[in-house]
Amino acid sequence: MAQIYKKDVDVSSYTKETLHDFYRTMIKIRKFDQHLIRLMQEGKVSGFYHSGIGSEGLSAGSIRNVLRDEDYIFYNHRGCNQKIAKGVPLSKLYGDFLGTTEGTTRGLGAGIVHSADVSRGVLGQAGTIGSQFNLAVGTAYSAKIQGTDRVTLCYFGDGAASREPLHGSLNWAGVYKLPVIYICENNEYAISCHHTETHSVKEHIADWAGGYGIANYVVDGNDTLLVNEVVKEAVERAKKGEGPTFIEAQTFRHRGHYEGDPYDYVPAEVLQDWKENRDPVKNFKKQLMENGICSEGEFADIDHAVEAEILEAIEVAEKAPLPDPKRIYEGLFS
Amino acid sequence: MRKINMRQAIIEALSEEMERDPKTVLFGEDVGKFGGVFGATKGLHDKFGERVFDTPIAETTIVGAAVGMALTGLRPIPELQFGDFVGIAFDEVYNKLGKWRWMHGGTMDMPVTLRLPIGIAGGSGPEHSQSPQALFMHGPGLHIVVPSTPYDAKGLLKTAIRNNDAVLFFEHKVLYDMKGEVPEEEYLIPLGKADVKREGSDVTILATALQVHTALKAAKTLAENGVEAEVVDLRSLAPLDKETILTSVRKTGRVVIVHEEPKTGGSGAEIAAQISEEAMFDLQAPIKRIGSPDVPIAQSIYLEQFYRPSEEQIVTTVNELMEY
Ligand SMILES: Cc1ncc(C[n+]2csc(CCOP(=O)(O)OP(=O)(O)O)c2C)c(N)n1
Repeated sequence: MAQIYKKDVDVSSYTKETLHDFYRTMIKIRKFDQHLIRLMQEGKVSGFYHSGIGSEGLSAGSIRNVLRDEDYIFYNHRGCNQKIAKGVPLSKLYGDFLGTTEGTTRGLGAGIVHSADVSRGVLGQAGTIGSQFNLAVGTAYSAKIQGTDRVTLCYFGDGAASREPLHGSLNWAGVYKLPVIYICENNEYAISCHHTETHSVKEHIADWAGGYGIANYVVDGNDTLLVNEVVKEAVERAKKGEGPTFIEAQTFRHRGHYEGDPYDYVPAEVLQDWKENRDPVKNFKKQLMENGICSEGEFADIDHAVEAEILEAIEVAEKAPLPDPKRIYEGLFS
Repeated sequence: MRKINMRQAIIEALSEEMERDPKTVLFGEDVGKFGGVFGATKGLHDKFGERVFDTPIAETTIVGAAVGMALTGLRPIPELQFGDFVGIAFDEVYNKLGKWRWMHGGTMDMPVTLRLPIGIAGGSGPEHSQSPQALFMHGPGLHIVVPSTPYDAKGLLKTAIRNNDAVLFFEHKVLYDMKGEVPEEEYLIPLGKADVKREGSDVTILATALQVHTALKAAKTLAENGVEAEVVDLRSLAPLDKETILTSVRKTGRVVIVHEEPKTGGSGAEIAAQISEEAMFDLQAPIKRIGSPDVPIAQSIYLEQFYRPSEEQIVTTVNELMEY
């Protein structure tokens, strides 16, 4: 049975700088999202968008203060969160949504998936969810065989966890003791289906990893510092050659599966509870206030600075030209 | 006659066939209480209960399970949320669905109707916009149906469900909202029969799905300049209705094939080859294909327009052919 990860995290074991950085990252993710939704409402962005509002703590906590640029991530389809935490420039992400040449795909358009930033270990993602499971054993194997201490983080949802390749991936990771960390962002729903409706094991998805002899934990995904602690331990394990870890982080999405989803399959009280009482940004802010790490004024300064950074990024992205139609023929082959 | 859209036509076909045959089962991701991401199964869970069920996100298992159900007396109607995901279940479709009966001596039936939404629609990107039907013309044992109107979709889907062979049923996403006349009373359309959607004497335009409508618009424009195009909606890529195709080609002597699939290895390649094998000397000009470029479909809504065959392209191509 999966272990519920518990720890009395001493806020004072973190520097003020690190704590501010967590907060700044979370607020950046939230504002990025809100502005993107605005751009969609203005008709400037087409396609699907899967908002990451509600799981900022998980993304910030599993990446900031623990991963380096050279560590690899395969983000999930709510993964602007993770890309922002990994440091991908905001103008590049907006550029991908707006389809301008500022985007990481230089105008092909990318939505959430398909943006990549190799210099920061962001190796891309696929529209077919769960495609990352097998790729992650490849990058982890590669780190092992090349003798680097790079770790691979593989993010996916509770729904994607039912894809068959997860099992092949876990088996390899276990057999070869690969430096890969599976992060299941369990926000309970896969589009309209609750994870207990489509998973044979109802309690914890992390239990599956136990079946492959892989260390596994269930953690409150909205507790930023707790997430940071459990991932730090997993990274240590990976770097020491002790193999993979599976972390199931419990969270919830504040918005529908995609923009436009009526989101009526979730009971209103449940959603309200998560928004009011379990909002990761609100709760982290409270935690910092209570511990005297940050004052209202300092929060306001960070918020303003982030807002300005985002508006500037949008401007850069919007000002960049659309690609030449010939762009579609570039880059298929080297 | 009443007009309904293709989504409603599909729901009606599913509902009528499920009512008719208690052995039918419908399943896929979010097809139950949510009614499908394109709304094409709305209301069916309420009506048929556990015979309409949500599956885990596991395309390999969805199609594999359908094969097993079919072998043991059920009539499964699985849905893949996007046709592009057929790649995930490739073994199940390519090596099992079409071949199981034959390779085991022909004693088993395979009454599976696999529904797959296809086509470019609103910036859906390279893995949610494709039209992979031609891949399966290469795999024996599979019926391939590609309707273009609500009327055809309903009549063909009902036949597909009653059929004892595997049918891949491709639905263009843009067509879900397109309305057309559909009678209240029951009718069936046989598989493997093309439909002449417009008669003409100068050129034959062969098309499927959304391109049928593009071709019809082009035909109208051409007619204003005195060129009469015959628009043949293939409706079915396997089996291919060679008789209707060749009759039309022999009448007009000119052929344009239009599809949203990449040109190389698209269904048009096979159709062109068959026409040239059998009607080469009836042609007054080379066979022309209008397809998508041989590159992945960009997510950018600005760029994606360059992948979709346009009315202008058809008009220009026909006019070129008329010069020969
Ligand atoms: C292979 C594949 N099947 C289905 C889909 C359609 N789809 C996209 S996201 C999604 C639900 C994913 O749920 P989950 O993994 O729990 O992530 P969440 O959206 O809840 O964050 C589905 C079914 C897809 N993109 N790829």
